[in-house]
Amino acid sequence: MATILVENVDLDYPIYGMQRSLRRAFFQNAAGGFINKKDPHHRHVTVSALTQVSFQLTDGDRLGLIGHNGAGKSSLLKVLAGVYHPTRGKVWVDGKITSLFELALGVDADDTGYETVVTAGMLLGMTQAEIESKIPEIERFSELGEYLSLPVRTYSMGMTTRLGFSLATVLEPEILLIDEGIGAGDARFTERASKRLHELARQSAIMVLASHTDDLIRQICNKAALLTSGRIIKIGPVDEILSEYHSEKARLEAQPAAE
Amino acid sequence: MHLRTKHMSDQVAEAGAFSRGHLRLLVTTGPEDLLHGLQRYDLWSRIGFMEIKRRYRRTVIGPFWGTISLAIFIAVMSTVGIGLWKQTLGEYMPFLASGMMVWLLISTMINESCTLFVNSQHLFSRMRMDYSILAFALVWRNLIGFLHNLAVYLLIAIVVLPALINLSLLWIIPGLFLISLNGVWVALLLGMTCVRFRDVQQLIITLLQISLFITPVFWPPDLLTGITALVFVKFNPLYSFIDVVRAPLLGKTPMLSSYAMIALITLVGWIATLRLFSRFRKRIAFWV
Repeated sequence: MATILVENVDLDYPIYGMQRSLRRAFFQNAAGGFINKKDPHHRHVTVSALTQVSFQLTDGDRLGLIGHNGAGKSSLLKVLAGVYHPTRGKVWVDGKITSLFELALGVDADDTGYETVVTAGMLLGMTQAEIESKIPEIERFSELGEYLSLPVRTYSMGMTTRLGFSLATVLEPEILLIDEGIGAGDARFTERASKRLHELARQSAIMVLASHTDDLIRQICNKAALLTSGRIIKIGPVDEILSEYHSEKARLEAQPAAE
Repeated sequence: MHLRTKHMSDQVAEAGAFSRGHLRLLVTTGPEDLLHGLQRYDLWSRIGFMEIKRRYRRTVIGPFWGTISLAIFIAVMSTVGIGLWKQTLGEYMPFLASGMMVWLLISTMINESCTLFVNSQHLFSRMRMDYSILAFALVWRNLIGFLHNLAVYLLIAIVVLPALINLSLLWIIPGLFLISLNGVWVALLLGMTCVRFRDVQQLIITLLQISLFITPVFWPPDLLTGITALVFVKFNPLYSFIDVVRAPLLGKTPMLSSYAMIALITLVGWIATLRLFSRFRKRIAFWV
């Protein structure tokens, strides 16, 4: 049984190489997390990206992360992925974690589509034989045809997305972490992509998805968490959380930049 | 569906009382990173190999350009060196060629170590990754580069002193192994240091440039006597690493003191790196 257990997680980003003036500018513009300077023992400015985050997910949970830019959605995903180590608190897991944060696979733009998919698949934990056996499926899904033999640098944005997404679809994750940006690509592909995303969601035991697209969260997730300034304000049924998010958003917009 | 959601949120509330028997903590220790990284030889050899492949791309002779510039350097430098240090061509040219090859291997590894994490941010900021994979890939890629240069060396040897081509050449294998073994810790240590303190890279580049001249690469080590010989030859760690590969290439046995020096460096280097890597591994993602 796949499980994620997050216990009192705090995440502070240290900020290095900040000049004094820049530091002051940062204070006045605290869009996302809080900036701490109070602790005299801290030599560095830190940004609290997450504060006291706790929750548990088990088989069948599809959690949608909702919140404004800088609310901590991506930070939370990166903590769950094991990219960032929490400053305080613990994350326990059972199951293989696969993270898809950017569909541009980020290997090297001079590599061909085939090469990129193989390297990226191996980076995501597959063996070379495993990923190579999935190549026909990737060819079919991406519909990139001859382009797969060309360097990725020659691809359009939409084609890169297709390639990334086709890799995503051949993974067999137990715990799948997805960060938005899945919208790109032409209309027909987006439709197919969202269909595959549903299938992926069904296949994987647990899914955590950060998105600004209400529809996507409604379609895929069966629970949602609202994040504000690095805290989980509320966790519960998708519709409830989404309406909470929108009413909060409306409230913020009603009182413009007063602060 | 709705019931299920409710059930789940109840579980969330109970998270504190949950038993953790079968769960693993999402933390990777330094030794785990190294061990798991080493096991992914399929991945790091591919990353290393792809790097070489990129150098071949859209060029006719690819990485051999490095080899060609080395060959030209050796040809010109040999004529100067023969005059300066009163050597014969058959003696000096293989000496210079072999020394420069090993020097290039070592100095390139050290230089690239400085950008190990800075340049690979796009990989480990997207997924959990064993950082050691990057270090293994770096060493692997440089060993492949060394093999390109070795081809030139063998060519020079066949032309100027065919007697050098014999079975004692195989002694370069343990030498290369020792260089690789140390290359991994150097990559991790310098990679971490340079990503945290960005000035260190400039310092390393400067030190390496000076080291090339104070280490017996161009000049025969036996020219120095007394205290300078001790400092620049006997106790020069770079010279020990050069010696264990260069000596077999020249048909000689490496000095025992070179192996002793390397054993000491390997031990101290790995202990220090393991400690620092275990301690700071989790911060690397923030330093980049």
